[in-house]
Amino acid sequence: MTQTAPILAARDLVKFFGRRLAVDRVSIDLHRGETFALVGPNGAGKTTTLRMLAGLIAATTGHLELEGRPVSARSATRLRRMVGLLTESPGLWDRLSVQQNLMTYARLYGLAQPARAVDAALERFGLRDRAGDDAAQLSKGLRQRVALARTLLHDPVIVLLDEPTSGLDPESARGVRELVRQLQTEDRAVVVCTHNLDEVERLATRVGVLRTRLLAIDTPQALRARLFGTRVRVVLDGDAAPFAAILRSGGITDVRADGSSLSVVPNGATATPDLVRMLVEAGARVESVVPDTPSLEDVYLRVLDGGGGS
Amino acid sequence: MTDRVRALLAKEFADLRRNPGVFIPAILTSLVALALPFFVAVVVPVLTGEHLSDSSDFKTASEMFKSLPWTRMLDPEAAVQALIFQQFLVLLVVGPVAASMSTAAYSVIGEKQARTLEPLLATPVATVELLAAKVLGSFLPALLLTLTVFGLLLAGAATFARPGVYLALLTPQSLAIVFIAGPLAALAALQMAVCVSSRANDARGAQQIGALIVLPITGLLVAEVSGSIVLTVSLTMAISVGLVVLNVALLWLGVALFDRESVLTRWK
Repeated sequence: MTQTAPILAARDLVKFFGRRLAVDRVSIDLHRGETFALVGPNGAGKTTTLRMLAGLIAATTGHLELEGRPVSARSATRLRRMVGLLTESPGLWDRLSVQQNLMTYARLYGLAQPARAVDAALERFGLRDRAGDDAAQLSKGLRQRVALARTLLHDPVIVLLDEPTSGLDPESARGVRELVRQLQTEDRAVVVCTHNLDEVERLATRVGVLRTRLLAIDTPQALRARLFGTRVRVVLDGDAAPFAAILRSGGITDVRADGSSLSVVPNGATATPDLVRMLVEAGARVESVVPDTPSLEDVYLRVLDGGGGS
Repeated sequence: MTDRVRALLAKEFADLRRNPGVFIPAILTSLVALALPFFVAVVVPVLTGEHLSDSSDFKTASEMFKSLPWTRMLDPEAAVQALIFQQFLVLLVVGPVAASMSTAAYSVIGEKQARTLEPLLATPVATVELLAAKVLGSFLPALLLTLTVFGLLLAGAATFARPGVYLALLTPQSLAIVFIAGPLAALAALQMAVCVSSRANDARGAQQIGALIVLPITGLLVAEVSGSIVLTVSLTMAISVGLVVLNVALLWLGVALFDRESVLTRWK
């Protein structure tokens, strides 16, 4: 994990809508060069958190720090200059062309050379041949591409993406994922709100599981290790059940047998080589030994079940 | 005017150019407002074969009108025609604005319904800039239409009315109505409509409440036509000063009423 100071930090953000608690004491540090995935069920407060991070709505209590300095109502404008927000819906003006949509935003962000910035965005996102088309004529994938172009038009260092691949076909979704990877290499801080855990797996350097409050926050690997331990899968030539019993009698408590394979959490006294030696000495024919990695979905569901705290 | 207001205005106008149908009510209202004085002052006497100045209904008014310095040279019939043209001037000025009211009332809530408001609010645009662009986006086309119709009224009066009648439309009183009080009243009405738009729960509510804003303007028109008030230069200027104050207050109120959080989280 990067050791640099966070570019944006949320400190104990709480948000009430009327009497309903939407977000409860959420603290997140966002660093340049990382992709932080915010996952959680519907109504968990992901979009509200994203809006607070974007300076769109104020927290009921708690605050944001931008480059180490607290963000006030007055300095929220500075925050908005540094943030690119992709909203859940592309939010394009349908009767305006792609170019007019982007040009309006280039001018709203006060870019010194708006026409050049729009030109560069059209080129980068492969929209040049559709520049004159009305937004209403675009497919959903293209609309999302225009929205992404708009999000990055002012070269923000903090990029907040709300469900960026929702409803897109696989090809368009892959394009968006490639873009997010690219953003990470451009030294930006990226936050992705999504339900797509496969996407999180592919993109995120850190993940936060939110259900009103942050239930867990860490790298995917660390969450796996914390919730499931460091498991190894040993595939044998033959029934694995008798050897599970041998391992248990040897002091390894977390052993699961499934057909010809064993899923084992080596303990401090018995590392993986010792484990393999025990099996071989017991007469097992070991075919393979590989890390047994639970899916992020397993991790997510375990966290929501109350199995893992921050 | 800031660059951001200009950017939003350019967007508003580009949107209007792609959707010229929204101008139809304003154009129709203007045409009616333009045709009415000609119908009453020029067509009706031709059809009935009677002079308006012979009617007792207009006698007092025409004598009063003839006493004004800039119309005393008119003959009785021309004085009555000038009086009618002047009285319909208010309708002509506020007609396009009244018709633009629904566009203004829809302006903010329309953005929300199209889901274009959230990315817009994520930019550094200030609330006052957003509201100014919304008001001007409705006001400037209405003003342009008003001035065009006023030009047509002048040309028509010079062509079809009695000689010298068009000069009554170029008096300080008329010009104050067309170029000062009218636009200020229009601006105030459209600001109110945008305020309503930023607080209403849905587009229908915004448009219905926006329509109510036309009532004071209609009241003014009725009062003027019925002779309850006479819009002299000094009264017009006094009203204009009041309208300037009202416009400043409405701008402040609009910014105070525009709750970013509410428009993002409560409207559906």
